[in-house]
Amino acid sequence: MGMTVLIVDDHPSFRASVRTLLQAEGYEVVGEAENAVEALRSARELKPDLVLLDVQLPDLDGFEVCEQLRVFDHPPVVVLTSSRDGADYGRCIEHCGACGFVPKGDLSGAAIAALLPA
Amino acid sequence: MSLARRPWLYFGPAALLAGAIGVALTVTSDHEEHPALATALGLFVSWSFILAGLLGWSRRPQNRTGMLMVAVGFGVLVGSLSEANYALPYTLGALFGSLFIAAFLHLLLAYPSGELLSRKARVLVVAGYATAFLAPLLDSLFPARHTCKPHACPDNLVLVSHDHAAHIVETVAWTTVSVLLFAATFMFLVGRWRKATSTLRRILRPVYLAGGLSVLLLAIGFILTPFSGVVNTVVVVALIATFTAVPFLFLAGLLGTTIARTAGIGAIFTGVPERASPGEVQQGLRQALRDRTAEVAYWYEEGGHYVDVEGQHFELPPDTRERVVTRLDYADSPVAAIVHDAALLEEPELLDTITSAARIALERDKLLVEVKARAARYRALLQAIPDLMFRISRDGRYLSYNAPDPSDLIHPEVVGLTLWDRLPAELADRVLEAGRSAVDRGTPSVIEYALDFEGATRHYEGRFAASGDDEFLMIVREITDRKRQQQELEASRQRIVAAGDEARRKLERNLHDGAQQRLVSLSLSLRLVQSQLRSPDAAEEILEASREELAQALEELRELARGIHPAVLTDRGLEAALEALAARAPLPVEIDGSCGELPPSVEAAVYYVVSEALANVTKYAQASSVTVTVEHLNGSALVEVADDGVGGADPLRGSGLRGLADRVASLSGKLAIHSPPGAGTRVRAEIPLE
Repeated sequence: MGMTVLIVDDHPSFRASVRTLLQAEGYEVVGEAENAVEALRSARELKPDLVLLDVQLPDLDGFEVCEQLRVFDHPPVVVLTSSRDGADYGRCIEHCGACGFVPKGDLSGAAIAALLPA
Repeated sequence: MSLARRPWLYFGPAALLAGAIGVALTVTSDHEEHPALATALGLFVSWSFILAGLLGWSRRPQNRTGMLMVAVGFGVLVGSLSEANYALPYTLGALFGSLFIAAFLHLLLAYPSGELLSRKARVLVVAGYATAFLAPLLDSLFPARHTCKPHACPDNLVLVSHDHAAHIVETVAWTTVSVLLFAATFMFLVGRWRKATSTLRRILRPVYLAGGLSVLLLAIGFILTPFSGVVNTVVVVALIATFTAVPFLFLAGLLGTTIARTAGIGAIFTGVPERASPGEVQQGLRQALRDRTAEVAYWYEEGGHYVDVEGQHFELPPDTRERVVTRLDYADSPVAAIVHDAALLEEPELLDTITSAARIALERDKLLVEVKARAARYRALLQAIPDLMFRISRDGRYLSYNAPDPSDLIHPEVVGLTLWDRLPAELADRVLEAGRSAVDRGTPSVIEYALDFEGATRHYEGRFAASGDDEFLMIVREITDRKRQQQELEASRQRIVAAGDEARRKLERNLHDGAQQRLVSLSLSLRLVQSQLRSPDAAEEILEASREELAQALEELRELARGIHPAVLTDRGLEAALEALAARAPLPVEIDGSCGELPPSVEAAVYYVVSEALANVTKYAQASSVTVTVEHLNGSALVEVADDGVGGADPLRGSGLRGLADRVASLSGKLAIHSPPGAGTRVRAEIPLE
């Protein structure tokens, strides 16, 4: 059984593509969310192992959502993603407690696995 | 030159010689009834004229009066030739013995300048010489009547006729001409006297009195000549007395000028107080020059013009026959000028002496008058400044003020109050600090402040300059309008900057959310296809989705590019760009009018006005149709977008309309929005083309 994943992004086409991609590589996509509020609620309910979290959301940004996820009783592993380059965000990525960052263009199951703790 | 300078050398001995000849001829005359009397009288009269004339001539070589007097004297001596017992001198004396009368008339008509200044005077002098020559000549053609003892006269060499009747006609005719000539001369002198200024009259008086009487008596004498009697004798005696008085009165005039010179210097140096005002100096000069109308003008170096004793601008008048200007210079620099009666030119010694003496006093006064002139200029300058002006002491008390418009004062009382009486305490402190700074540093200072006045906040600029060791000037100018314009300008700039920032943010967001997102998805999809190549159905499905994604990305990029700048506007012009806008609008848009080719900046402004207005119509107006009108009107491009929607648009709502207003204002145009509730919206922009 692969890792359970919650995909958080405000673009449906991206969510659909990622779902297909990750499932093809053995991940189990347990849910999708299009904004921060929905993401936090789904994370609390679905308790995924991994949250693939877009940095730019319509309500809160991904860093804030990540910080809130990190204080859950059983915090999920958070991998941030964005169509921008990781360097654009400076040290925000490591400060928010995320496991790592994958640019959307390079996203794949292997790229995520490379970031996960051993 | 030597004759002009030293006429004595020539005419002195000549007068003595001519007098001796005259005495010899008269004393030995066979036909002179009173030789002793005639000798004494002839010598006395002739030498008096010659003496006085030579004195005047040597004193004023440029003035012909002295020369004319000498001529009269010699003329009298020529007349003594008629006392000779020989035919030739007797005839010459008879022919030229009357020329002295013409010279005398010439002297009177030319007095005091020695110049014949009018045509009338010249005519009279010519007529006088002609009569004095022709009348004796014609008279000598006939036998003499009264001048000789019977048969004692020598032969008259020009005697040609004994026609008694013709002689009488000739005598009557020439007597009439002579009397008319004397009368005309007398009237001329009277007329000149009446027109003369008081100064000229003073100069004319002695000579005109004796000379005028002589002319009158000559006229009467000529009329009475045919008759003998007591009256005739009285007239002759009176004539001799007045005629002889002329040279003595002339001498008295010369002496009077000399006395006046001394008295005038005295008037300047003793009559005028040591610390006299310019007005007193002018009065002293008037007395010294004996000209009540004389005016003193001081050279005002700084202004480059003359000023009067009060320091007012003074324009020197051009020289006329009545008034002339005598300039007093020192080392080629003007000091002062005296405008005086032209008659004083006849007393050049007086004028020179008095003006030379006065120069020192005037040089001193010049400084005083300069100060006055400067003060007058500064006063005029202050009065011309429309700003409020206050003189304030170092401790903050108002000393004086100037308010061209008293309604500008926030408090009608000023002098005697302190800054804290009239201004809010904080402002009063600032004013005092700025004023003291100007006094201490010696350089002006400026502050800006706002005051609530007449129900509105007004902005002022206060300028401070030292006006003394312990006081300063505060010049207050209202700058409310300037401030408002400045604030509007700053707000407009801020809006432009903000609009630019917003546009960039929007562009980034659009790129990120739109095309970039789709391309990311596309990239993921291609990776999926790659992994699904062994499953053709799944791959086809993914490729179909990818194609749609790509088409949408392209459309979004096109839309975005259009928002940055409409390429159709550049490529095809305003008309095509407006048609494109109309075609994309979700409701019918009618485009009316055309304004031909416009500058690119105006075309862009018109395009964005229509674009923004149509966007607003789509979003808010609930309209069924829109009309866009573009036209050329009075040198401006006019664009109007009118819809039939709900109206009630707020021009300040959103940044779109404000940004448009700024864009139009940057081209000196105006944007107006008319949007009454329920009656549609009309957006109208007018952009000048020059």
